[in-house]
Amino acid sequence: MSAIPYVATTEVPEVLVQRQTRSGRIAMTLAVLAMIGVAAMPWWASTGTIRSILVLCSYIAVAQMWNLLAGYAGLVSVGQHAFMGAAGYALFVLAQTYGINPFVAVFLSLLVPAALAVPIYLLLHRLDGPYFSIGTWVVAEVFRLTASNLPLVNSGAGMSLRVMKDYSAFERNVAMSLLCAGMLLVTLGGSYWLLRSRFGLALIAMRDNPGAAASQGVNVVKLRFLIYVASAVGCGLAGAIYFMAQLRITPGSAFDPMWANVAIFIVMVGGIGSIEGVLIGSLIFFIADRWFGEYGATYFVVLGLMTLLVALYARTGIWGLITKRWDAPWFPIRRKLVDPNR
Amino acid sequence: MEWFDALVQGILLGGMYAQYALGMALMFGVMRIVNISHGDLVILLSLIGISIATAWGLGPLPVLIVLVPLAVLMGWVLQKAVLNRVVGSDPLPSLIATFGLSIALQNLMLQIWSANSRSLPGHGIESQSIEIGGIYIGLLPLIVLAVATGLTWGLDLTLKRTRFGRALRAASADVEAAAMTGINPRAVYAMATAAAVGILGFAAVFQALRSTVAPADGPAQLIYAFEAVIIGGMGTVWGAFAGSMVLGISQAIGFRIDPGFGVLAGHIVFLVVLATRPQGLFGKALS
Repeated sequence: MSAIPYVATTEVPEVLVQRQTRSGRIAMTLAVLAMIGVAAMPWWASTGTIRSILVLCSYIAVAQMWNLLAGYAGLVSVGQHAFMGAAGYALFVLAQTYGINPFVAVFLSLLVPAALAVPIYLLLHRLDGPYFSIGTWVVAEVFRLTASNLPLVNSGAGMSLRVMKDYSAFERNVAMSLLCAGMLLVTLGGSYWLLRSRFGLALIAMRDNPGAAASQGVNVVKLRFLIYVASAVGCGLAGAIYFMAQLRITPGSAFDPMWANVAIFIVMVGGIGSIEGVLIGSLIFFIADRWFGEYGATYFVVLGLMTLLVALYARTGIWGLITKRWDAPWFPIRRKLVDPNR
Repeated sequence: MEWFDALVQGILLGGMYAQYALGMALMFGVMRIVNISHGDLVILLSLIGISIATAWGLGPLPVLIVLVPLAVLMGWVLQKAVLNRVVGSDPLPSLIATFGLSIALQNLMLQIWSANSRSLPGHGIESQSIEIGGIYIGLLPLIVLAVATGLTWGLDLTLKRTRFGRALRAASADVEAAAMTGINPRAVYAMATAAAVGILGFAAVFQALRSTVAPADGPAQLIYAFEAVIIGGMGTVWGAFAGSMVLGISQAIGFRIDPGFGVLAGHIVFLVVLATRPQGLFGKALS
């Protein structure tokens, strides 16, 4: 993983493409350890702690999916909670109404956001820049109002996941922990893998300048579409797991615009266009929510003003300020040429 | 007759939506910015109006006279303090900035005015109606529609006939070329936002008169304004007006079918227009 030999031609000096750094190796080790720690939660954490970590993992997953959309594809969505709620509802219908094993249904439910994201993107991509954002919001509202009127999902009264009582508390904790670890692996690990691949180069080119990227042969239209669908599925996974832990879903909770606030705050304050920023932002939001959540409205006024100030004065967020000073990425995605003879 | 009544009520409701939509169409046309706190500003102005009315015992008209200049000032400050820093080809900064502002405003209003719904006392005007051909039409909704028509007409004329309108149109066509001909884009932008929020001053008074307002109502108003602009067709003032009518009629007919379906019917008409005529009903197709 560390060094890929460059295919040297006769006149070019032999160089190595360095793709990993020391800080990257340390961070990767810590990330793997953290992932194992999350998966092993039933053996060291209480049920309350597992629930808190699950919420944190959901924040990270949703924020990273929003980051992929806004930070790389240039698609600013304020309606990703549409897909969280859709997958959550799909899980409840499959497990509760049709009696499918809920731990299998989590994965089956991902088909719903994937299938919905395709026509939605085809509709919304016609909207120009900022109008696209409000279009995504309208779609989330349509989902909420549809769920409120749909007898299949018990209309406005919502549903409960009573089948979970067939499993012991320990079994549920094991499943939740494994699902959390899986969610992190898919959303964070998947993004990291994507950004280090050829697609990653295209994505970063697209982030920096879509027009220039297109002129270099990047299929911007197709890539945006794929990222939108991938982000919908990622948000769906977070939604399915989150609502499985909640055991209850209503139109209001499933399609709660609060998730848009969470994702935007985390990514903008942490640092847009980087995985490190998502981790920093998620931790800050998680801790702030525990400490200051009781202040209710005042807390949200501060949160809103911080988002405003970041957009005005520090668009790269905390991670942007850190990278200005120290060049030590946790998840390096750059390709650096080094001369082995020097 | 029942459906004709729904149609009339829809047109009257459209008059309310037109007052939100005009400002949004103006700001997007000139700066390619969507102010996410658009709806929250309406609610903030409404709540200020209600507090002024109760504190000083004012009727609706004096409240309107106080509120519109205040709204113009708010728009000007919003542009100077926030929007001038985020205007540009990248839509992200302006969206995030106004999104943060929207969250802050909603919760600030929640603290000051609590979550209760309030309305502006109209001293009887809100319950008067006139009968035309067997249909009772509320006097207040009729005034709302007349004011909306007047505002649309006035804005259209301003854009077409005045120096300010020419500067606005030039800046929206090509901001750099406009700057070369001696137009100061920042000054034009500030005036555009002041005008857009100023129109919301009218909307705030009428919204508080004809129904109730609560701090969490802003996002719904933003979405209605947006749908009206897209249905009508971007870039034309009368398009936004017509889009508001279509949205109002869709919602009124939806409510007649089933009370839970009204708002959803508006959203569905919006999505159908987007699928079949993305340039809007009255917009020109892009070549």
